[in-house]
This record gives sequence, C-alpha cells and structure tokens, in this order.
Amino acid sequence: MRLLVTADIHLGAPIRSAALRNPVLGASLRQASRDSLSDIVALAISERVDVLVLAGDVFDSAEPDLKIRAFLIAQLARAAAAGVETVLIRGNHDALLDHAAQGALGPKIHLLERARPTVEIGGVAFHGLSFERGHQQASFLPDYPPPSPGRRNVGLMHTSLEGAPGHDPYAPCAEAALMAQGYNLWCLGHIHAPFARRAGDVLAVMPGIPQPRHFGERHGGSVALVTLGEGPPELVWHPVARLRFVEARPDLSGCADQSERAQAVRDALLAAQSPAQETALRLTLASAKQSEAELAALAAALCEDVDQVHIDKLRRIDPPRAPGTAAQTDDLIRLMRAETAEPGFRQAAREILAELRQALPREIAEDLAETALDDLLSAALGEVSAELHRDAARPEDG
Amino acid sequence: MRLNRLDLIRYGRFHEARLSLPAPPAGSPDVTLIHGPNEAGKSTAFNAFLELLYGMKTREHRYAFRFDRADLLIGAELDLPGRGPIVLRRTGKRAQSLTDAEGRPVDEALLAAALHGLGREAYLERFSLDDAGLRAGGARIAGAQGDLGQLLHAGMSGLTSMAGTLAGLAAKSDAFHRRGARSGVLRAGKERLAQIAAELRAARLTPDRADRLGAARAQAQTAFETAEAALIGARNAQAAGAAAAIWQHESAGIAQLEMQLAQLPAGPDLAPGTAERVAALLATISAQEARAHEAETKAARHATALAAHPEDPQAAALALALDRLDALQLDDAPLTARAATARTDLARRQAEQATFDAQRTALRNRLDLPAAADLALTPAALEALGAAAQQARDAAQKEQNLRAAHAEAKAKIGVQPAAPKDLSTLEAALRQFSTRADLTREEERLAQARAQLGTASAALPADWSARVAAGLPAPETLVHLVQAISAARADLVTAERDGQARAAEYAEAQALCAAVRAAPESTDAAQIEVTRRLRDQAWTRHRAALEATTAEAFAAAMQADDAARAHYLTGAEARQALAQAERTLALAEARAQTAAAVTRAASHAVSEHDAQARRLATALGLAPETAPEALAPRHAALTAAAAAAAAVEAAQAAYEAAATQRARAASALSAAAAAAEIEATPDTLAPRAEAALVMQTPMRSAWTRWQADAQALEKLTAACAAAAVAREEADQALAGLTRPLALPQRDAEAVLAALPDLRALQRLEEKTGALAQRIEALSGAIAALAAGSTQIARILGRDPDDPLALIDTARLRLASAQVQARARTAEAAAEAEARASLEAAQMELRAAQAALATAFEGQEGGALAPAQRIAALGQRDNLRTELRAANARRAAARAGVDAALFEAEQRRLPDPSRAEALARALAEAQAERDRARDVKVEADRLWREAFGAAERGDLVTEQAVVLEELREGARAAALAQLGVLAARGALRRLAAERRSSMLRDVEAAFVAMTAPAWTGVDVWSEAAGDKLVGLRPDGTPVPVEMMSTGTMGQLYFALRLAGYRNFAREAGPLPMILDDIMETFDDTRARAALTLCAGIGTVGQAILFTHHAHLVALARAQIPGVNVVEMPR
Repeated sequence: MRLLVTADIHLGAPIRSAALRNPVLGASLRQASRDSLSDIVALAISERVDVLVLAGDVFDSAEPDLKIRAFLIAQLARAAAAGVETVLIRGNHDALLDHAAQGALGPKIHLLERARPTVEIGGVAFHGLSFERGHQQASFLPDYPPPSPGRRNVGLMHTSLEGAPGHDPYAPCAEAALMAQGYNLWCLGHIHAPFARRAGDVLAVMPGIPQPRHFGERHGGSVALVTLGEGPPELVWHPVARLRFVEARPDLSGCADQSERAQAVRDALLAAQSPAQETALRLTLASAKQSEAELAALAAALCEDVDQVHIDKLRRIDPPRAPGTAAQTDDLIRLMRAETAEPGFRQAAREILAELRQALPREIAEDLAETALDDLLSAALGEVSAELHRDAARPEDG
Repeated sequence: MRLNRLDLIRYGRFHEARLSLPAPPAGSPDVTLIHGPNEAGKSTAFNAFLELLYGMKTREHRYAFRFDRADLLIGAELDLPGRGPIVLRRTGKRAQSLTDAEGRPVDEALLAAALHGLGREAYLERFSLDDAGLRAGGARIAGAQGDLGQLLHAGMSGLTSMAGTLAGLAAKSDAFHRRGARSGVLRAGKERLAQIAAELRAARLTPDRADRLGAARAQAQTAFETAEAALIGARNAQAAGAAAAIWQHESAGIAQLEMQLAQLPAGPDLAPGTAERVAALLATISAQEARAHEAETKAARHATALAAHPEDPQAAALALALDRLDALQLDDAPLTARAATARTDLARRQAEQATFDAQRTALRNRLDLPAAADLALTPAALEALGAAAQQARDAAQKEQNLRAAHAEAKAKIGVQPAAPKDLSTLEAALRQFSTRADLTREEERLAQARAQLGTASAALPADWSARVAAGLPAPETLVHLVQAISAARADLVTAERDGQARAAEYAEAQALCAAVRAAPESTDAAQIEVTRRLRDQAWTRHRAALEATTAEAFAAAMQADDAARAHYLTGAEARQALAQAERTLALAEARAQTAAAVTRAASHAVSEHDAQARRLATALGLAPETAPEALAPRHAALTAAAAAAAAVEAAQAAYEAAATQRARAASALSAAAAAAEIEATPDTLAPRAEAALVMQTPMRSAWTRWQADAQALEKLTAACAAAAVAREEADQALAGLTRPLALPQRDAEAVLAALPDLRALQRLEEKTGALAQRIEALSGAIAALAAGSTQIARILGRDPDDPLALIDTARLRLASAQVQARARTAEAAAEAEARASLEAAQMELRAAQAALATAFEGQEGGALAPAQRIAALGQRDNLRTELRAANARRAAARAGVDAALFEAEQRRLPDPSRAEALARALAEAQAERDRARDVKVEADRLWREAFGAAERGDLVTEQAVVLEELREGARAAALAQLGVLAARGALRRLAAERRSSMLRDVEAAFVAMTAPAWTGVDVWSEAAGDKLVGLRPDGTPVPVEMMSTGTMGQLYFALRLAGYRNFAREAGPLPMILDDIMETFDDTRARAALTLCAGIGTVGQAILFTHHAHLVALARAQIPGVNVVEMPR
C-alpha cells in the first residue's frame, strides 16, 4: 500500500513575510495554503497512492470559516473520485472538523476519533484519536487501540512528542513508548519541521508543514510518500512548497566601497536563487558603517534584478572583530554599554518598550517584550555607531 | 608610534622616493612640515602611509597606474613603543603583505598593538584633519547646541555628526509612532488592519451565518412548493372550464353533420386517394383512345415509303473487291493512295544501290582484305576491339615505367647500417636523476628559515621555546589586560580623589555637628530629663541628710535644671540646626564609607590586574615588574619565534626528503647505465649517460632511413611483376578478338590504326541492306494493284485499262447502293414501331376501364356519370371526417380534466364571464408562483455563493504583510529610541569623565587661536546637561551656536587638539596628519595654529602638508626646530 502522509496544512493561514508586499509574489501566494492542499491531492492522484493521511491541523483560523471546510471537502472528494481514500484526525486547530456540528465529510473520507478510532482500508488498519478541545496536556497513547492482529497497523497522532522548540506541549508522548505500541507506521503532526525515526521495522514520520509560512518554518516544505509492504516501511520525501525561506549572512566589513558591498549582497542574492521555487531570503549583514535602513535600501534595489528572490527581513550585525583590534578604543560604545547597565536607564528603556507594546497590534507586541531588551540594546548601539560613522571621512570611498 | 621615514618605492607616480621625518632635537616639538605644490603627491604620500599601516586595497587600486597593483611597494621606518625603530614594508600581496626590510613576513599584530587597536577608518577619523573636514566639522558641531558631551566626543573621535544622527534617529522613531500624534506609520497600519479585519469578518462564512442562509433557503423552498400547488389548481380549473365549453360547442356541430350525410350515396368510405385515382383513370381512357387512332395512320404511311426504295444486286461483290484493294499497304499507307508515286521511287532506290556497292569495294581495298573475306562486324564488337587494343597499349607502357623506377631505387640503396640499442630506461632514469640532483633550493630554504628563527628569537630568553610549548595567553587577553589596568588605575585615582573629598566632607560635618551640639540652645528634651532626674536625686539625698554639702549639691542641680529648661524653651531653632547637622553628618559618614569601599575595591582591582600582569609577564619570560604594555610585543615576538621554529622544522624535513629522493634516483641511473653497458664512476655517471643518449640519436636516424629505402625497393619489385602479368593478359585478350578477323596485321598499334576504316565499312554494310529491302517492297506493291483492278472490271463489265479510274467508278456505284439500303431500313423500323404503339394503347384502355369499375365497387349512385359519382362520394367522406374530428375534439377536451371539476363547469354553462374569471385566477397563481420561485433561486444562490466564494486571500496576505512591516517598523523605532537614550546618557558620562582633563586643553587652544576676541570657555549646567560657552573679553558668555562659522571651525580645531592630547596621554601618541588646514587662516591665526601644532609635537608627532610657501616661513619662525621636507619629484 502506498500512503501520502502530510499534516499541519493550516488552511487559511497566510504567509507572513514582508516579501509578499511584492505584488506579483503576493498575488501568486495569496491562496498558498489552499494551493498547497490542491498540490498535495494532485500529487496523491498522480502518484497513484492508496490513502492520503492528514495528521491534524488541516485548518488554522481560530474563527471558523465554512468556506474553507467546503474547500477541503471538494479537494478530498476529488481525491476520492480518483480512488484515493483519506484518513484524518483533528489537531488543535481543527474545530471545523466537528462532525456533530458540521456534518460528515463525504464518502471515502475517514475521520478517526474516540467513538470510531479505527478504519480498515485494503487490509491495513488505521488508528487515530482526534483532539476534542484546543489543548490536550495528557498523552493520547494509552487510549489508542491495540494493533489489529494479522494486519499492518498505521497510527495517526497529533503530538508534540517530548517537546520541540517553538511548539507548546500538545498531547505529549514519549517516543520510545510510541515506537513500542506495535504499529508498523506512525504518521505524526504538530511539529512543523519534518523528521523521521526508525526503531527496528517501525517508522514514525513527522511530515512537517507543506508550505512554510515564515522563516521559523523554513525546514518544512515537503510531504512523505510511504510504501507499506512486507518489510520496514519505505519513505521518500517529496518537495511541494512554492516558496522557501533561506538565510544568508554575508560579511561586508571587508568591502572597501559601495560597489564591493553591492557585489557581496548581489552574490548572496544569486546564491539564494532556486529555479523551482520562489525564495524569501533572510539577510543578516555584518557591517559597522551602514545602518539597517541603508542596507535594506541597497538590498531592495539589487533584489529587483534577481528573479524569484525576495527579501524577507534584513538585519545588520556588528562584524567579527579582527585580531588585535578592540572596541574599547571607541569611547562612545564603551560609555553607552556602561549606561545601558544602569538601573535607571533600564527602567527608562523598559518604559519605551512598554509604550510601543501598548501602541502595537497585540499579534506583534511581544516582539518588544522585556526579555528582548538586551538584544535590542545591542542592536541599538550598533545602529548609533553605524549612523555616526556613515558620514565620516572615507578617502577611498570617494 | 612615530614615523621616521616613508619610502615610496613603487607607488603612484613615485619610484624609489623617500620622505625623511627625523626626530627633533631634545626639547623641540616633533613637527614636520611637508611642502610641495599642488599635484606634488601629498595625498599619495598620506594614502601610502595609511596603506603601510593597514594594507592595500584589495581590488582596483587608484595608485596602480605607473606600476601594477601587485608590484606596488611602500616602506617606512617606524619608532614603535617598547621596540624602538623598525623598518617595515607593505607589498601588494594578498597575504603576508607586511614584511621587514629583507622581505620576511612580519605579524600584523605588531602594528595593531602599536595602533592601540584602531582600525583604518578610526585612525582617519581621529588622527587626520584637512581644511574641508575642519570647516565641515565646525559647521556640524553647531548642531550640538553646545552640548559638552557631544563636543568632547567630536574632539576625541573626529565624528561630528552626533547631533544629526540623534535627530535622525528620533525623527525615524517619531515617523513610526509618537504618542498623541494623529499620523504615523503605526497609526496608518493599524487603521488598515482594522479595515481588513472588518472586511474579513464580513467575508467569513461562520456557522451562524451558514445556519441563517440554510433556514432562509428552506423557507423559500416551502413557499415555492405552496405557490406551485396553487398554480396547478388554477390551471386545472381553467382546463375544466375550457373543456366544458368545447364539449358544448362540438356537440352542436356533430348534429348538423349527421343531417348532411343522410342526403348523400351510401357505401363504405373511399380508400385514401380514390377520387384522384378515378380522375386519373378517366383521363387515361380518353388519352389511349386518341393514341390508338394516331398509330394506325402512321403505320400505313411507312409501308408506302418502303416500296419506293429497291435493292442493288452488284453491291456486295464490289464492296468485297474494294476492301481487298484497300487492304494493300505501302510505307504504312494504303497502296491506292500512293500508287502514282511508287513507280518513281523504285527507280531512285535502284540508283542509290549502285553507288553503295562502289564505296564498299574501295574500303575493302584500303584495308587490304582478300576478295572473299567477310568482315561484317557489329558496333559493339568494334568498340570491344578498340578497348582491348588501348588496354594492351597502356599495360605495356606501365610495365616499362615501373622497371625504370626499380632500376633507379636499386642503384640508390646502400650498405645496411648497424641496428641501435634501446636506451629508454637509461633516458628515464637520467631525467629522474636530473630533477632530483639539485638540493640547493632546499638548503637555501633551510638556511633562510634558520636565519629567520635566529632573528625572531634573538631578543628572547633562552627558554623561550619551553614557554611557547607550555602555552601562551591569548593576545586578546593581553590587550584587555592593558586596557583593564588603565581603566582600573583611572578608577582608583578617581575613587581616591572622591574618597578624599568625601572624607573632608565627613570631617566638616563632624566639626559642624560638634559645634552645634556644643551650643547651650541646642539642649533637647532628653537632656532636660537628665537634669531633672539629677535634681530629684540631689533633693532626695539632701532631704535625707539635710547637710550643707547636700544642700549645695541640690542647689547646683536645681540651677542646672533651670538653665537647661530655659535653654530648651529658647532653643527650638538651635535644635533644628543640630538635627540638620546630625543628618548631614550621617549622610557624609555614609558617603565617606561608600567612597572608602569604592577606593578599596578599585585598589583591589588594580592589585588583581597587576598580579595578573605579573603572572603573564613571568609566563612570557619577562620580569614580573615589566610594564603591561610590553606584554603584547613580547607575546608577538614569542609567536613569531614559534612560527619561525615551525618553519625551520618544515624546511629540515623538506631537505631530508629531497636528499632521499636524490639517492634513489642515482641508484636507478647506475643500474640503467650498467644495463646499457656504460662504464662510469658515480661522478661521471650522469655525463656518460647523457653522452650515450646524445650519440644514439644519429645512429637511430640512419637505421630508420635505410629501413624505409629497403621497404620502398621491395614494393617496386612487386609492382613490376604485377605490371608484366597485366600486360600479358591484355595482349591475350586482344589476340582473342582479332583471331577470327581477316586483318593482315593484328597487334595493338595496327588494330588501333585500322579502327576508323573498320567503323566506316560497318556503317556502309548497314545502309546497303536497308536499301535492298525497300526496292523489294515497292516492286511487290505495284504488282498487287494491277491484279485488283482486273477483278473490278470483270464485275462492272468494263475494260481494265485505267485501274485508278475503274476503282473510282466502283466506289461511286457502291456508295449509291448503300444510301438506298439505309432508307429501306429506316422506313421498316418506323412502321413496326407504329404498330406496336397501337397494340399498347388498346391494352391500356382495357385496363383503365376495369380499374374504374373496381373503384366504384360497393357504392351507390351508379346512375351518375363517373365524375359526378366520385364527387358525391368524396363530399360524403369529407363530412364523415369532420364528424370524427368533432367527436375527437370533444373527447380531447374532456381527457385529463378532473371529472368533478368538468361536471361542475358544465353545470355553470352557459356563463360568458366564466372563462375570464378562470384566466384571472390562473394569472394570479402564476405570478405568486414566479415570485416564490425567484425568492427560492435567490436563497439558493446566496447559499451556493457563500460556500463557493473565493477566500479573501488578498486581505489575509495583506494583513500578514502589514503586521510584518509594523513588526519591522516597531523594532526600528525601538532601536532608534533606545539608541538615542543610550547615546545621550553616554555623552553625559563622557562630559563628566573628560571635562576635567580636556577642558583646559580646549580653552588653551581656543584662546590661542582666537585671542583677543575670545578669552576663554566656560560650562553651564542646565537641566538638559552641561553646555559649553565661549567667553568674551568682558566676561560675556556666548553659546556655541551663536558663534560665527570661522570661530566654530577654530573651536572644532581646539577640540580635536585636546582630543589628541588626551589620547596621547592615555594610550600613547600616534602621528597626527594635518593637510593644509591653515590655507584659509590669516597669518595671525596661522601662527596660532602652528603654535598649537607645536603643542601636538610636544606630546606626539605632528605632520603638516601644505602647498603654501609662506606657511613654511611662518612655521620656521613659529616652531623651533621644525623639520621642513620638500615633496620628492
């Protein structure tokens, strides 16, 4: 049996990048999550898989929109018409998959939940439990059915396993216990970076988010094609993302003039190009003499001539210090550092952040949390220094 | 650091040029004035100095126009602290570009330490100044609004855009968000987000909205179904009304039709088409009767015409005889047509035959053929004979040529030389030995590495390598330590000074407190309590004793108590003063203790750093008391020595490996020489082997040449034999062809000579044969024509004198007979046709009459003529049809109509308004149903569109983008605000930290430059911070921003000079480069500026570039011992 395993499609969630301010890119990716599901269904049909597995978080929005549910049903019906059955569970974002409230999904689409945790398709038993509410703190594993004797057994679970950076603990589960459940294959969801684990003949696959929505999800972008035969399950990753996020960190401190800086940035942009996908690039530039705004203007101008590459974010960092040089010779930096250690200064800085937080939309206010103060101060000192040196004499530049 | 000499070896337009900057005599300021006209290369020299210190630019180089970038070379002698004079060079290499005078690489850390970690741009900013920078700096510091911190920072760092930078950052933050502002990026973004959210809420299909749409859809469906049922009822009622009316109308018509039918002949219904068929039969009968009469008349007329054309009895015999004559042919044409010319043609052909016979006889004579010999050859045989003769001639010529070449080659080849030996092994061994034989390069590298090690370790202790092996501290540790010690000592001095001040404050507070406390008015309540208790105790003792002593003691105690009470009553102000003094004392004591603690901590820090410096000095092989500044150079020296030692080891290993390879190559060469039978000693082995290889070359060439000649001779021998065989075969082929011929000579040359006559003879034989055949044909044809004409004459009964005229008469007779025969045939056929037509007409007439009788079979009305009869029957059948149709319409109107409704409507008849009433009811029901249908369709559409509507991805995406932009904007605004906050605090600290040390220098320089217009500077303390002001001679303070542009430039110069002195005091001097800064000064100010430059020269090194000759004279007058250097040409 051939399975196409995916999870965390997050239908309705937008791509969060300033790169989408580009009108062409913005228009092509405005339905990115829907396009992603369409592509996955098309892949399932063209690859002639037997079952499409969705391991939770098909939806995203906290405010349900039945149009999205209708879209899901249309896509899964398209797969069913081509002979591909779908097995899915609800994740922590999937209130719209509530049968009782919204009705059944359709023929050949199997939602597994506590009342009906198992379905058998082509001699393979699929077991799964759905989230009944948004947050599940206890492990689901003890409630999973025992493996069906004489059958290949596949488990679907939406879980943070033993914890992952950037993910709250949802239905936590020990990996060793999971692999010892007696199933042949585990199809997991919730963690957006893909991975696969093997223990003997048991395979657990976390397919990751098929279309990364921001830089933090840059490791996603694929689905898993699993062949379930007599031996251990065989796994092949298949890329599906239309937009990828990558990072480049060129050091501009050795550039003698603006043309050399432009060349270094252009080289980074060209290196990020991919013929098969659009690329949103996180640029971290090491420079002591240019402010972030100045570098952003330079990068934006250069990016216009590089196809399929777009600036996601740009950060300026202080360049690594050459041996024998010392920042302490800069009195201003030394004194600013001393100043930022003063309690009075820190209180004033906290008040600045608090005022901005209060003015900002709540979705982004936490970017300026007090825990970020030290990082912000370090960047602020660099910005002041860069702005100050920007106009200083540079005979070679002129 | 001091620059003693700058060598422009290959740089810009300079080649082997030198600028000497010797140290001044003791007690003189260190000032060098470099003079040269414009374009003399002052900027080139300045840039060369910078590139010596920091390396050359990596890409396109502006001074690489005379020499390639890779060939640029700069040198200098620098006096480095702790090391003394050193000559360095900077090359254009990308690595190890800093070398000593001999080109050996020098660690960059050497210069980095001497430059105190300053980068190229920091050095430029701090230690160079030109006229434009001076004027721009003066203009920019006006933006500081006199802020002391900003001004001192500008003086120290050379960075003058602090005010603009802080204002720009604040503006950037304000543009994003400012409290209370009505515009801004954040506000606009939030407004857009609110719009998007509202639009998204409207577009979202929530379960509630879906439920509402579903309910509306179901309600519309129900209403539609109700209206549809009402419409059906109205339609049924209208149908019943219409059916009843039709029923009534048709019933009346049926009764009338039945009455009409009773008047017409009875009988069955006519079959379909009977009337038309009867009409057609009547027409057929009439037509056939006319046709029979016409055919009868026509047959009689043709019989009469046939009798008028009799038959010719001789026509058949004449036709046969003429056919025989026409069958005779001559030259593919009938003989009769050519009979006249045949006799003439026969005579001409016979004359041609005689001519050909004479020509043939002449040719045979020329070929010398016997009279009876037959030499009739075909054209193909003649061509084969010619080809064979040519082939025999060519084969003989080729054999002759090859035999001549063979004889020449045989004469040319000489005696066989000796075969050469195979010396390839010897050659390979010699080549291998040659590449390994020379070890000079490895020896030189080893010697060079050892020399470098000696140089690098010369100034180091004997156990330096053990110290390196034991591990060296990180260079950053040493730099940090020096800076930490400097900072800690400065902190200690500050703390001690502060501690002394605090101790003085404490002592002063103690004295004040004691003095206040000593004043009687400061008596407090506790003291009154004490004096009262003492008085009471004295009274108790006196009452018990009642003695004089106790009485006196009681009196004294009572007086003291009274005095205390009196003081207390009048001392409220004094008590407040005492309380204040005590608070001041406590505060001073706390401050003194804090200052003491800070002093102890600073002292401890200094001790710790000193201890660390001693430990590191020991680790680096220096005396423990060595100054910390010397640690870095020693560390660099140890590192360089370690690198040199590693280079020696590597060079030694390379040398040994090369020697081993050389021995192996010599052994292989010796073996190869022995195999080649070369006798030699190890010293002569290589030359002997090389000589043997040299001699081998001509021997091998001769051997190769002889082998090639022998192979060529062998090939020629084989070619001669093959040519002889070919020639014999060609001769035999020719003989085979000439053997049956009667030619007198049969060799190739004779045959080739006879070929033209043989070809002519062959063509003549062909013509003679054709001519004979022609003569025979003409004679036969003339005889046959005569025989034919004789037969025709016999048939016609005439004489056969003129055959051609007789033939023409016969042809005329035969043509006339044929015309008569054709006329007879036509008339007979026409008569037969007329009789057949008559018979057919009579038969069809009988058939039509029978069919007419059949058509009327079973019908009444036989008395009527057939036409009238069929018309009556047709009318009857039409009435019967109308009757059936009326019955059918009546039944159809009734069919499908509700029976009860129909009967009810029948009962209503006759009712003229009934139909209109029913129609109105139906129209109303229809309108109601249509409205309900439209409502239902709309509800369905809303339902479908709600689920099928496109997701507002554009809004969701824009929402995310706006949030990302606000996220970035908020971060930038936060950085700007925090940066401004930190910078302002740092500038306050800078002002506090440096004002005591720099302000004096600033004032001295400013006054020196601007006297007598300005007499000093002062600092105002304001809420926003300390501000610098200038003082006029009358003591009037003038804010910096109120000064003239020129004065601000001079103030900036003063700040820079003070900054230089400050740096020189704290870190050590570096050369200060001043590029024509005085070109806009008048002589008075120029003198003052030169004096200030001399001030730089007292603590460091000042290097002035100028193209003004008068400044040179001024400098000589103003600066004792100034060194003036002309730019090299």
